[in-house]
Amino acid sequence: MTFFTIVLRSLTRRPVRTCLTLVGISIGIAAVVTLVGMASGYEKGIGKQLDAVGVDVVVSNMSGGLMPKMFDASLQKKVAALPRVAETSTLLMRMMSVEDAPIMMISGREWGGFTWNRMKVLEGRMLKDRSEKAVVLGTLAAELLKKKVGDTLQIEVEELAVVGIVDGQSMVENGTIFLSLDVMQAISGDEGKINFLDIRVPPNTSKAEIALLCKDIKVIFPEGRAMIASEVVGTSQGFRVVRAMSWSTSLLAITVGVLGVMNTMLMTVFERTHEIGILLALGWRRRRLVAMVLCESALLGLLGGVVGVGLGVVGLITLGSSPGVRGFIEPDLNPKLMLISIAIAVVVGVVSGLYPAWRSSRLTPSLALQS
Amino acid sequence: MVAAAPTTSDELIYQVIGLKKQFDNGKVIALRGLDLEIRQGEFVAIVGKSGCGKSTLLQMLGSLDKPTEGTLNYRGRSIPDLPDPAAYRAHEIGFVFQAFQLLPTFTVLENVQMPMFEGKLSRSQRRARAVELLESVGLGHRFNHFPSELSGGERQRVAIARGLANKPSVVLADEPTGNLDSESAVQIIELLLDLHRQLGVTLVLVTHDMAIAERASRIIRMKDGRVLTDQLAISH
Repeated sequence: MTFFTIVLRSLTRRPVRTCLTLVGISIGIAAVVTLVGMASGYEKGIGKQLDAVGVDVVVSNMSGGLMPKMFDASLQKKVAALPRVAETSTLLMRMMSVEDAPIMMISGREWGGFTWNRMKVLEGRMLKDRSEKAVVLGTLAAELLKKKVGDTLQIEVEELAVVGIVDGQSMVENGTIFLSLDVMQAISGDEGKINFLDIRVPPNTSKAEIALLCKDIKVIFPEGRAMIASEVVGTSQGFRVVRAMSWSTSLLAITVGVLGVMNTMLMTVFERTHEIGILLALGWRRRRLVAMVLCESALLGLLGGVVGVGLGVVGLITLGSSPGVRGFIEPDLNPKLMLISIAIAVVVGVVSGLYPAWRSSRLTPSLALQS
Repeated sequence: MVAAAPTTSDELIYQVIGLKKQFDNGKVIALRGLDLEIRQGEFVAIVGKSGCGKSTLLQMLGSLDKPTEGTLNYRGRSIPDLPDPAAYRAHEIGFVFQAFQLLPTFTVLENVQMPMFEGKLSRSQRRARAVELLESVGLGHRFNHFPSELSGGERQRVAIARGLANKPSVVLADEPTGNLDSESAVQIIELLLDLHRQLGVTLVLVTHDMAIAERASRIIRMKDGRVLTDQLAISH
C-alpha cells in the first residue's frame, strides 16, 4: 500500500459522487477546449486565408464587428502611391445567409487584383470580366450550397450564375463565394465602398519596413488601421470580443467545476472527520492530511480534465461540422490547448481542495475521534 | 506466545502534577488537579466510574488533547509543548480504543500499515512488518479482510497490531474489552499482557472492570477528576 492507494481509495468509496464531480469539472474543461478551440480555429483560419491570398498588409476601418465598416475605395490610389507598396487590391466582404445556408462568407474582389491569382479552377471557368454577374465558389461553399457549375445562386435579390468551382488553398477561402467587386457593390448598393484594402510589399521587405508602411497609411487614413497580415485577427476588435466571450464562458463553467469539487471535498472532510481523528491519533502529521486531501482533489481535477478534453474534442468536431460554422472556422485541435486545459483542471482541483484541506488540518484529534 | 517476566525500571515515563482539564469554558471539569507518575515497563490500570476523567487522562497522556492547567511530562519533556506532537503519537504511543477505530475501507493489512507512513520504512518493509504483527496476534489468515468481515475480538487484535506498528514505548488502551463478549475480552487481555511481558512496553489501561484491573501491576482509582487511590495490585 502506498500513499496514492489511500488517496485513490478515498475517491472510489463514493463512486457516484466522484463521478458527478468529474462530470462537473469535465463540462468546464470541455467548454474551454470547445470554445477556445473554435476561437483559435477562427484566428488560424483567417491567418491561413491571408497567407493563401498572399496578403502582407490589410487596411480596414477601426470600428465594426467581425466585418469592419466600409470606407471609400478612393483610398487605394493614395496607398498605392506610398513607398514599399508593390500591389493593392480592394475587397468588399460580407457574412450573410445565402439561400439555404445559414451563414456564408461573400467576397467581392477587385477584378484583376492579386487576390484572384492563387485560386485554382477545378471545374468550369474563372469570371470573364469585372462586370459579369456571376460567381465562382470555393469547394466547400459549393458543397454547402449544393451548387455545381451552371446553377444559379441568389444573393440579396440578384440571381447570379455559378461559372466555376475553385480551390482557394485554405479552408476559409474554400468556404467563400467569390464575385467581382463591382458586381458586389452593385448588388448591395454600396458603389465606391470597400471594407478591406489588401497590400503586397516587394519581396525581401523587412518586418520593420512593413511596420513603417503601416504608420504611413495611418497618416493618410487616420480613422482606419493598417495591420501586418499575421496580426490582423489577433488585434481585431470583433475577434477580441469572441475570444473574451470564449474565455469568460469557459471561466464560468470552470467556476461551477471549482464549486463542485470544493463541495465534494468539504463533504468528504466532514464525513471523514472521525477517520481523520484516527489518522491523527496514529501519528499522521497535519501536513500529510493536507497532502492527502489536496492529492484527492488534484486527482479529481486531473481525471475531470482528461474526460473534459475528450468531451471538448467531440464538441469541437461536432461544432466544426455544423452548418453554421463549417466553411469559415476550422476547429483547432491544438495539443497545447489540451495540455493547458488539463493543467487548468488540476489547478482547479488543488484550489478547490485548499479550504477542505485546511479544515481537516485544524481538527483536534480527541474531538475528531468523538464525532 | 511464551510470556517473559515483565520488567519495570526506575525510569520515569510520565510525570503528572496538578493536571486540570475543563471543557465548554469551564462548565465541565474532567480533571481537577491530578497527580501521577508512571515508570518504564509498568502495567497500570486506571479504574473509576464513567465520567471520572480516566479517558480524558488517557487522551492527555497520548497528546490527543491539551490540558487546561498543570504539568504533563513524558520522559522529562512537556507533552503540550512538544514541537512535533504527531511524531510523539507516531513513535512513542500505541493506541487501543474501545471502538477499535479501524478504517472501514481498508483491509486488515492496510489498517496495520497506517501508522507506518510516518516512519522511514519502504513499501515492502511496511507490508512485511504488518504481516509479522498480524501473525503475532493470530490473524495471519485475515490479511485481506475488511474490518466489517471480522468479529469484535479479531478487530481488537488488528487494533493492537496497529498500535504496535512503530514499536512504541507506551500502549494506551481505553476500555479495550468494552465492546467484546467475555471470552474475547479474556483473550484480548491475555494478548495485551503477553505483549507487555514480551516487548516490555509500558501499558496504561483504562477499564471499569475490576477483574481486568487486577491483572495489572498497579491500580489507580479515580473519582471526580482526581486520583483516589494508587496501589499495587493484589496479585503482585
